[in-house]
Amino acid sequence: MELIVALLIGTLAGSGVWLLLRPRTFQVIVGLSLLSYAVNLFIFVMGWVRGGRPPFVEPGAVVDFARFADPLPQALVLTAIVISFATTALLLVVLVVARGLTGTDHVDGQEPDA
Amino acid sequence: MSNEALLIAMLGLPFAGSVAAALFPANARNREAWLAGAVALAVQGLAWWVYPEMAHAQVLRLDLAWLPALGLNFTIRLDGFAWMFAILVSGIGFLVVLYARYYMSPADPVPRFFAFFLAFMGSMLGVVLSGNLIQLVFFWELTSLFSFLLIGYWHHNAAARDGARMALIVTSAGGLCLFAGALLLGRIAGSYDLDVVLRSGDAVRSHALYLPALLLVLAGTLTKSAQFPFHFWLPQAMAAPTPVSAYLHSAAMVKLGVFLMARLWPVLAGTDAWMWTVGMAGLVTLVLGAYLAIFQHDLKGLLAYSTVSHLGLITVLLGLNTPLGVVAAVFHTLNHATFKASLFMAAGIIDHETGTRDIRRLSGLYRYLPVTATLAMVAAAAMAGVPLLNGFLSKEMFFAEALEAEGPVRAIDRALPFIATAWGMFSVAYSVRFIHGVFFGPPPAGLPRIPQEPPRWMRFPIEFLVLACLAVGAFPALTIGPFLDIGVRSLLGAQAPAYSLAVWHGFTTPFVMSLLALAGGAALYALLFRYLARGEERTPLLPKIDARLIFDRILVVVSWRWARSVETLFGTRRLQPQLRWLVLAALVAGVVPVWRRGLDPGPLPWSSIDPGLAAAWAIGAVCALGAAWQAKFHRFAALMLAGGAGLVVCLTFMRMAAPDLALTQLLVEIVTTVLLLLGLRWLPKRIPFAWTSAGARAALPRRLRDLALAGSCGLGVAALAYAVMTRPLPETISSYFMENAWSRGGGTNVVNVIIVDFRGFDTLGEISVLAVVSIAVYALLRRFRPARESLETPPRPQDADDDLLVPAVIMRLMFPMAGMLAGYLLLRGHNLPGGGFAAGLVLALAVILQYMAGGTRWAEERLAIRPSRWMGAGLLLAGATGAGAWAFAHPFLTSHTAHLHLPVLGELHLPSALLFDLGIFSLVVGATGLILIVLAHQSVRHPWN
Amino acid sequence: MSWSEHLPIVPVVLPLAAGALMLVLDERRSTLKAAISIATLLLLLVAALALLRLADNPVAPVYALGDWPAPFGIVLVADRLAAAMVLLAAVLGLAAMVFSLARWHRAGPRFHSLLQFLLMGLNGAFLTGDLFNLFVFFELLLAASYGLALHGSGTGRVRSSLHYIVINLGASLLFLIGVSLIYGVAGTLNLAHLAQRIPQIAAADRALVEAGAAVLFIAFLVKAGMWPLGFWLPSTYAAASAPAGALFAILSKVGFYAVLRIWLLLFGGGVGSELLFYGGMATLAFGMIGMLASQELGRLAGYSLLVSSGTLLAAISRSDGAVTAAALFYLVASTLGIAALFLLIELVQRSREPGADVLAVTAEAFGLADAEEEQPEEQSGTEIPAVMALLGLSFVCCALLVAGLPPLPGFLAKFGLLAAVLAPEPIPARAWALLALLTLAGLAAVIAMGRAGVRIFWAAEERSVPRVRLIEITPIAGLLALCFALAVAPGPAMRYLHDAALALHAPHGYIESVLGRP
Repeated sequence: MELIVALLIGTLAGSGVWLLLRPRTFQVIVGLSLLSYAVNLFIFVMGWVRGGRPPFVEPGAVVDFARFADPLPQALVLTAIVISFATTALLLVVLVVARGLTGTDHVDGQEPDA
Repeated sequence: MSNEALLIAMLGLPFAGSVAAALFPANARNREAWLAGAVALAVQGLAWWVYPEMAHAQVLRLDLAWLPALGLNFTIRLDGFAWMFAILVSGIGFLVVLYARYYMSPADPVPRFFAFFLAFMGSMLGVVLSGNLIQLVFFWELTSLFSFLLIGYWHHNAAARDGARMALIVTSAGGLCLFAGALLLGRIAGSYDLDVVLRSGDAVRSHALYLPALLLVLAGTLTKSAQFPFHFWLPQAMAAPTPVSAYLHSAAMVKLGVFLMARLWPVLAGTDAWMWTVGMAGLVTLVLGAYLAIFQHDLKGLLAYSTVSHLGLITVLLGLNTPLGVVAAVFHTLNHATFKASLFMAAGIIDHETGTRDIRRLSGLYRYLPVTATLAMVAAAAMAGVPLLNGFLSKEMFFAEALEAEGPVRAIDRALPFIATAWGMFSVAYSVRFIHGVFFGPPPAGLPRIPQEPPRWMRFPIEFLVLACLAVGAFPALTIGPFLDIGVRSLLGAQAPAYSLAVWHGFTTPFVMSLLALAGGAALYALLFRYLARGEERTPLLPKIDARLIFDRILVVVSWRWARSVETLFGTRRLQPQLRWLVLAALVAGVVPVWRRGLDPGPLPWSSIDPGLAAAWAIGAVCALGAAWQAKFHRFAALMLAGGAGLVVCLTFMRMAAPDLALTQLLVEIVTTVLLLLGLRWLPKRIPFAWTSAGARAALPRRLRDLALAGSCGLGVAALAYAVMTRPLPETISSYFMENAWSRGGGTNVVNVIIVDFRGFDTLGEISVLAVVSIAVYALLRRFRPARESLETPPRPQDADDDLLVPAVIMRLMFPMAGMLAGYLLLRGHNLPGGGFAAGLVLALAVILQYMAGGTRWAEERLAIRPSRWMGAGLLLAGATGAGAWAFAHPFLTSHTAHLHLPVLGELHLPSALLFDLGIFSLVVGATGLILIVLAHQSVRHPWN
Repeated sequence: MSWSEHLPIVPVVLPLAAGALMLVLDERRSTLKAAISIATLLLLLVAALALLRLADNPVAPVYALGDWPAPFGIVLVADRLAAAMVLLAAVLGLAAMVFSLARWHRAGPRFHSLLQFLLMGLNGAFLTGDLFNLFVFFELLLAASYGLALHGSGTGRVRSSLHYIVINLGASLLFLIGVSLIYGVAGTLNLAHLAQRIPQIAAADRALVEAGAAVLFIAFLVKAGMWPLGFWLPSTYAAASAPAGALFAILSKVGFYAVLRIWLLLFGGGVGSELLFYGGMATLAFGMIGMLASQELGRLAGYSLLVSSGTLLAAISRSDGAVTAAALFYLVASTLGIAALFLLIELVQRSREPGADVLAVTAEAFGLADAEEEQPEEQSGTEIPAVMALLGLSFVCCALLVAGLPPLPGFLAKFGLLAAVLAPEPIPARAWALLALLTLAGLAAVIAMGRAGVRIFWAAEERSVPRVRLIEITPIAGLLALCFALAVAPGPAMRYLHDAALALHAPHGYIESVLGRP
């Protein structure tokens, strides 16, 4: 199980990096979102608890911590999701505008041969 | 007046004067001159005030705390030697000011001139009066700066600019070396304080760092004093206004080098290394300068090379390692200052009156300028070392020293007297040429104007200096004796030798040498007369090496061509290489520690495989790969595949006990996809093409490299994740959250409590990010017009929702439902999955769905939302909630819970965190809505052209 | 709790409130916004000064947000260094703000809010004592910097911002990986707590922590512009509008700040010093070459920023209190100087190619610009007398600062740095290398700045005196005046920074002020 998750994360990250290194803006942005999936999962599994229950506590009940998934990484992932969402949106707009101003969707704003 | 005040005044006056001078109007020649003259005289007067102390070899000293943390004080230290230089600097300074008053034309912006001039004088005094090495370097660099500004004063002509720049680069390069040298010296001596350094001569000379320190210091002094091989900047500096040359190249700038060498003589001298470096540099310069001077056609050029040569003389004397040599050096420093300053001024007058400085065009000026001519003759005679003039005396001393010299190499010692005599001949030759070429011979032809004697006061400085030459030359012991004595004694202390300043030492060898020099020089001139008359632009017997050209070329090649190629070699402006570096760096950063420390998988066994989930993950992986594969040509497919991967992630959260994440991820997923869909259409269509074999082959290595990078990154991340997952969880701070979520956080959904309470501060920052981003997006898109052809394909704005395949009607119906859902999520968030963020996204989605359903116009007519208001309100609300705690004397963001009963939702806990969540909600609606709307709005824009 | 105890939060909340308030305000009320901005920044300055006095004692004031005790909640720790950085940020912010009032704040919407949020991010990053919170504030200041880098739009800006954003998004992902990895092994996010726990981590897990930290540091070093991760910096900063550029002068110092703090706190300045040293040297060398190689003033300034980054990184790699102190002094001096340079460049360029105003580019990019965004009518500029002389003087000062020459504090900083580096017996090879490279860099700066200065102020064939408004020259003069003050009376600042450095090298003080005595 752990191995498969790890591999999934790896695959996401790998594909993300591959796209990140491509010359077209769209590839880069897709790559970044793949990467952010990978990173979110990565953060999430840092609090890996086997068969942990969702971190909801009954009022007043005494909690034994081991039965629950670690809530902190989840909170961190939430924050990370929001931030990466925001920045992705910005990047998207920037590359749309860049395309509009430079007339190309190459990351350097000009075709390599040009 | 107390000595402290006096010292401060001596150093401060020039700078104060400089500031004042800068504020005068552009045409205030007289006022400027009065000011500058007054300052110079004041400094001079202050110097005389302390004559008694100096005569008794006292040292005045003032310490002001500067950098106590580094044991560095601002120390003004006035001893005899410094005093002598102060007299020289301020005295000649005054004369030059007087001269400049008449020399500068009314058109010149004089405030700049006098401001820089005074500042330069101040820096000179600063060096001279420095009580520690660092401070000395401090002012040293200032002299470089201000000399640069002075030489470039007439910056409209290129020669001035180049000369100034060369002087700046050469001297400040030297200054930087000197800085390093000073650091080393101070380190050896254990202090930068001059007194300490001067006391620890033996320690310095025996220290392992002596040689580097020596070389660095000399790099500073030799450049400043224009010694070979750094001599080339000085003649270029002649483009400066003559008063500047007269000051910088007689008494000031160039004397700094010899000043420092003399100053540090007790510390650094006395070794073979010293003799080799200083002596050799001086000797070469001495001869070379004199020889080159003969063949200059520009009056100032001639004087410049003669200056170089005389500085060489002083340097040689210092390099001889004998106290008497030092005496002669100091003595000649004074003499040279007097006659060279007067000669520069005379040359200036000639230039001023005739409009040219070219000896070939000048002749027979005696009949027009008898007085100036006479003065110039006397000064030139002093320069040539004619008896009964001051130049003669120091020259005799030099000859005497040359005869006694005992260096490591006998041959050089033997040759020295002959070299000295030869130098004497050269000096005589160029002096004679200066006089004869300019003042005698037929009346000049084709001069711009008829020359006439300059105003009385313009001549006065020359008269004064020439008088000094005569007086010193005739009665040295009476006139210069005491000063020299003060300087030498403070410099050498116990080492100070006995010396006599008599004019007549009898018929000694040096005297013979002098006679030889005079006769030979005259003969040489006669010999060369025809050649010189031909006025060729080259120096005989020397390969035509133009040091300036070489310097310029080196400068251009190194500091421009090479720099550019290195920059392009080691840097890039393209994105992909930079990202490659980034990825590589991250990879290395991750690998190295693992490689150094080793890493094994953790002890825990694998948990049982959940087939459904495993299958989902497999699909996710495939989606990711597919997206990577398709993104270039089939954007839409790639988008869907990436979305698929996202859904798998979201499913994972769902199954792995993280419902909040699942919910949020899902919503974000949708919004992002919508965004990308909206953005997609503005990108140019890419038509898939088959790689030409050549293109493929060309691209292959690059792609393989990227593939390797990507693969290893994936593996690395996977390995790290695996290693952590198979380890037992460390004792984390989360237990605290679990225990206190309800009791003190007033919520059962621990994640949400963390978000809005335990780590509410994170969330505050996070929503600010959202706000900022949407501002930026708005700013970018507000007036942006898409390129025309991107509008043509694909044509209508609605095709985005054709992609989504959701009937418009349903979407419209969804709006109110979405609103309710949002409210519900918001309220229950604290206890069950949900929360302000999810709620906000839902509402924003609802809004954008309306856009898609009805098209932009339809939507904008119906719902008038002011996103930025929502954002601002949200942020303010969240912030205010946090700040509310202040009222109860709690820290920012302290929460408080109220429990109340509502009819529909039943028992409800209203922690202040809920308000906070409300703020989040409002902000998310505003921000997300804004982004989506401006992006959607593009479709109704008309392309600009 | 008394008001002074709330002081550490003020530098974060104040800009937040102002920025949010100006979002609610209507777009066109630029005067009101300007007033708010100025007022906020002045308040911020006061708060920063107060904080400085508060921080200047052995126990750093700690602020537990939400009243949750450390290490569970997030804390702000206003130690000497943090307070000093906050003050520096406030000063730069004020200068950039005032400068922008002449024209830039109308070159695009919401400039004031962006500026406030940038300051909020900076202050938060400086003050926070929590690793993940540091991430959040990094993102905030980055987001704001994206906005400011794009401010005024135009092809050049958009193109360079695209690079800037992509690279920094990558860096942020690395940041996240690093943080989460550290959490996964150490189980905490509070810096002081981490400092306690990391030494006790089992050998089997050390590799993970160090890998996490290393990845984290890559993210910081990208921001610090270390070679080869800093190629984006000169282009982006050169393209940015003048006020943005001035603020960015401190942006690159944030990366350095994070490195310094976390490296010394969590790893006691041990492991990884080679990386910092060689990386710093490479950056220094590359920056110096770049200065020589750049014709455009903006790039020159950007490269001078790399030079200062490199110097700082190489210096702190010694992890020696005296060196760090001098490095901090250098940081302050060079930041002020380069900020002034960025402001100055715009005015100078204005004089060189009249009409080639960046706002023109904006208009071109945006199509017909409307009244509110109109290029301000030039005549309105009250032309100050001898404007060229003033600009020239300021330029010389900036050049001296960049080259580390007297009479400006760059020289003293270099002296302190080198004196401390050369102190040990025998002099280590690294010290020699640093000495040599710093000397060369100084020379390179003299050559490059001299070249540029001569070209602009002396060789300009048809001199067109630029329309410069008093409000534009004032901030430059102010920054330079500060520098002069630092040169004339460096004593207090040096003393303060010395204590700050010593505190950094003795982390137990920090840990105790956060977690209390064990």
